[in-house]
Amino acid sequence: MTSPGLDRELKKGSAELLILSLVEDRPRHGYDIGQLIELRSRGALRFNVASLYPLLYRLEKRGWIRGRWVEKAGQRRRRYYRLTPAGKKVLASQRDGWLEFVKAIGRITGIQYA
Amino acid sequence: MPDFRSEIRARLASLGLSPARELEIADELTQHLEDEYEHALSRGVSEDEAERAVLADLNVPDSLDRELKRVERPVPPNPVAMGTQRRSNMIGDLGQDVRYGLRMLAKNPAFTAIAVLALALGIGANSAIFSVVNAILLRPLPYKNPKQLVMVWENATHLGFPKDTPSPANFLDWRQQTTVFEGMAAFTERSFNLTGVGEPERLDGRRVSSNLFDLLGVRPIIGRTFVPQEDQPGTKVVLLNESLWKRRFGGDPSVIGRVLTLNNEAYTVVGVLPHSVRLPAFVNWRDQVWVPIAFSAEEAAGRGNHFLEVIARLKPGPTLQQARAEMETIAARLALQYPEYNTRRGSVVSPLHEEIVGNMKPALLILLGAVAFVLLIACANVANLLLARAAVRQKEIALRLALGADRARLTKQLLVESVMLSLLGGVVGLGFAYAGLRVLTRFIPPDIAHADTIAIDGKVLAFTLLIALVTGLIFGLAPASQASHFNLSETLKEGGRDSGAGARGKRLRSSLVIAEVAVSVVLLIGAGLLINSFMHLSNLDPGFRADHLLALSVNLSEVKYPDTARRTAFFDEVVRRVQPLPGVQSVAVAGNLPFTYNGDSMSIAVEGIPDPPPDQWPDVIYRAIGPGYFRTMGIPLVRGREFNDGDTLDTTRGVVIGEKTAKHYWPNEDPIGKRLKPGATTSNTPWRTVIGVVKDVRQNDFIAEPKMQMYFSYKQVEQLVANALIVRTSVDPLGLAMPVRNAIWSVDKDQPVANIDSMENIVAGAVARQRFSMLLLAIFAGLALVLAAVGIYGVMSYTVAQQTREIGIRIALGAKRGDVLKMTVKQAIKLVGLGLVIGLPSAFILTRVMSTLLFGISATDPITFLGISLVVLVVALLASYIPALRATKVDPMIALRAQ
Repeated sequence: MTSPGLDRELKKGSAELLILSLVEDRPRHGYDIGQLIELRSRGALRFNVASLYPLLYRLEKRGWIRGRWVEKAGQRRRRYYRLTPAGKKVLASQRDGWLEFVKAIGRITGIQYA
Repeated sequence: MPDFRSEIRARLASLGLSPARELEIADELTQHLEDEYEHALSRGVSEDEAERAVLADLNVPDSLDRELKRVERPVPPNPVAMGTQRRSNMIGDLGQDVRYGLRMLAKNPAFTAIAVLALALGIGANSAIFSVVNAILLRPLPYKNPKQLVMVWENATHLGFPKDTPSPANFLDWRQQTTVFEGMAAFTERSFNLTGVGEPERLDGRRVSSNLFDLLGVRPIIGRTFVPQEDQPGTKVVLLNESLWKRRFGGDPSVIGRVLTLNNEAYTVVGVLPHSVRLPAFVNWRDQVWVPIAFSAEEAAGRGNHFLEVIARLKPGPTLQQARAEMETIAARLALQYPEYNTRRGSVVSPLHEEIVGNMKPALLILLGAVAFVLLIACANVANLLLARAAVRQKEIALRLALGADRARLTKQLLVESVMLSLLGGVVGLGFAYAGLRVLTRFIPPDIAHADTIAIDGKVLAFTLLIALVTGLIFGLAPASQASHFNLSETLKEGGRDSGAGARGKRLRSSLVIAEVAVSVVLLIGAGLLINSFMHLSNLDPGFRADHLLALSVNLSEVKYPDTARRTAFFDEVVRRVQPLPGVQSVAVAGNLPFTYNGDSMSIAVEGIPDPPPDQWPDVIYRAIGPGYFRTMGIPLVRGREFNDGDTLDTTRGVVIGEKTAKHYWPNEDPIGKRLKPGATTSNTPWRTVIGVVKDVRQNDFIAEPKMQMYFSYKQVEQLVANALIVRTSVDPLGLAMPVRNAIWSVDKDQPVANIDSMENIVAGAVARQRFSMLLLAIFAGLALVLAAVGIYGVMSYTVAQQTREIGIRIALGAKRGDVLKMTVKQAIKLVGLGLVIGLPSAFILTRVMSTLLFGISATDPITFLGISLVVLVVALLASYIPALRATKVDPMIALRAQ
């Protein structure tokens, strides 16, 4: 993978998939999403502010997620993102695509998953 | 807590986001950093360390502002048509396009105003003329199944009457023998004097077959129509027109059964008919009352007495062709049966709608064509404006294309803008149409059927909307298609220099000007021909002096004044009382006046000349007059004398003939003293001696040539009645209307006086239609010329502005101002010349359709064609001269620096 453009696209593609998956079952705010990615990847993946939020805004602009300011009793006002119906479709197709991609890589590299 | 917010805002500052968006992002990110900071603290990290860790997160290689820049747009100058990935949303896009278009239009108020004005003129003219066409041509007649209704005429083309009014005996035979018609009804005009209720009044009316209104499918408002038994002589029943009923009887339903005095006889009112009932009429005849036609036995037997009009309703099966064929068969049979009357007399069957509105059709269609042309020119102008503006907007368009706007969307956006312009133009145009119609209806000749129903109704609104939409698409297409052919790299390479959208744009603009010139030439030539014919008409001599002449209708009741002696006594007394009124020069009594009535005609026998065969027997128009008629009318006496008070029933019966009659019967002799009589030599009417010859007078209009004519004294013919008074005055004739009427009423207070008008007005009425069409076409042609001139001016100004640099270089290199002027004007001449090359042949073809409207001039009149070409050329030169002059004033230094 010598092309930096492709590398970035790949990263961006997977990041999109991560975020969409995280807001699938319930709305989450940005800090929550960042924490979850770090937690669930056991520290392997980490998004800093400068990369997480532009990505959220991009997804929102495409209409895949929708952010809304919510004020809960005793808590600070936070912006919660939830999946839109369009996002749901994109998520499904990105999941399929990712699976295909992983399988293809596996077939080529001989890496097997349990 | 450290101040993360200012850290973040410092990084957002360079993005140029909208304040609201910047605040929102700052809020969200600050919160995130604060969360992180607290989280670190909760893990036991020191405050300093936590702050440093959090800030480090902000300053990773992909810095926040660079990442955000990819997503967030600066305050969008054009929120539209960026290359979005989502599938296009028709409605949402349209809303966006409309809002954007409104902003663009509001941003250029001068451009918008000029474009809307041009479109409003074009669309308004179309709406106005369509309202007229709609009311007169398109609206169905107010009768049951109006398409089945026809009129039936006798065809006597060999005598000069291609549509002759049928005689009663022929009509009765037709009705008996026909199988294709459900029914046939006849009617004829008759005026009535209403007396006994307030002021005496003369009423237009008709005698009608009892089945006429059932045949038409007219339902009375109250009461009933006639029943067949009432079609008998002696039945005195009458139907009233709704308008008379409301005007004279206050709409009182108890009028049914009331007895009215009409022509001194008692008539019982049996019903009231809606005022929409309008039977075809030669002249401005507005029926107020109807009575049964009730032929007398003598009338019913008459075959040579042509005075009926006949309406018939086709049965559902037969076609018009079948009806015509059958009527021809019947006419041929009658010709064999009654050769002395019916030889060579055929029949004519024509749809009623055509009879009523047909004569207006060519003029209206031509006007409709004319306004369509005007609209086309307006379109070309606006398209040119848009093209010029598109050149200015090149940078905007290039930018949007570069940012990924797709061309289809861009084209759509431009089209939406132009349609919005045309819709605005439509709204303003409706206002123009409304105002125009108010003026127009005042000039519409009163004898045009249904003119009173002209209005802007749903149909007109729909029509206006439709043409506005179509218009917007037509003139928007050129700039829009240009945008979609826009060469992006070229424009960007040119560094935003105003290149006039290249050769393509220039070609488009030039062809629009050529088209404008061509269309205006066609319109102007059409208008020129009409104006020419109108002048021909107006300059024709009617045969009498129409100025300072007052005319009044004085219809005597046949019951009150049953014989010549009593009628003569009445009129002699009226003349005696009117003559001394101040301002009166002379006064005379007459039967029907020229330009109010064609005049009846008869065939005559001349002493010493054998009677011709029946089908070659010419008709001579006759009028009844009293002493002093020729002097009062200003009809020149060529030979002999006119009637005087000495010509009575007891003296020699005289006749005055027209020059044409004299020439026909006595080509090489003096006709004075010769004798003639009505009908055949064998008829038992007395011979009449020619006592004078006068100049011929036109009958009813300027179009028909004067026919053979003769005059009898009403005092010498029992059957002829006088019913008009003419007064030659030394002052404004209408100023004498009241004194003359009072003089008549001083003789008989129950005598109605009607149709008081100056002869000048009456004659003008005869050319009212021609004047109306001419006026409108002239207005539209003028409008077209102005619009075309504006178009030429606009394009030439634009071209000069584009060439400023080139002109500057030329002047700098020593070109003379005159050369520059010549160069610029030459370009204009080229365009106009091409316009003429296309326009003149088109006019040559198109003006033929108006040959029926022309009089005294050919549709290809070379002088008109040449003159109009010159006018267009001069106007075009003027329109291009001002920009050309400006070109010569170009300062080479400024011009070179300009770009």
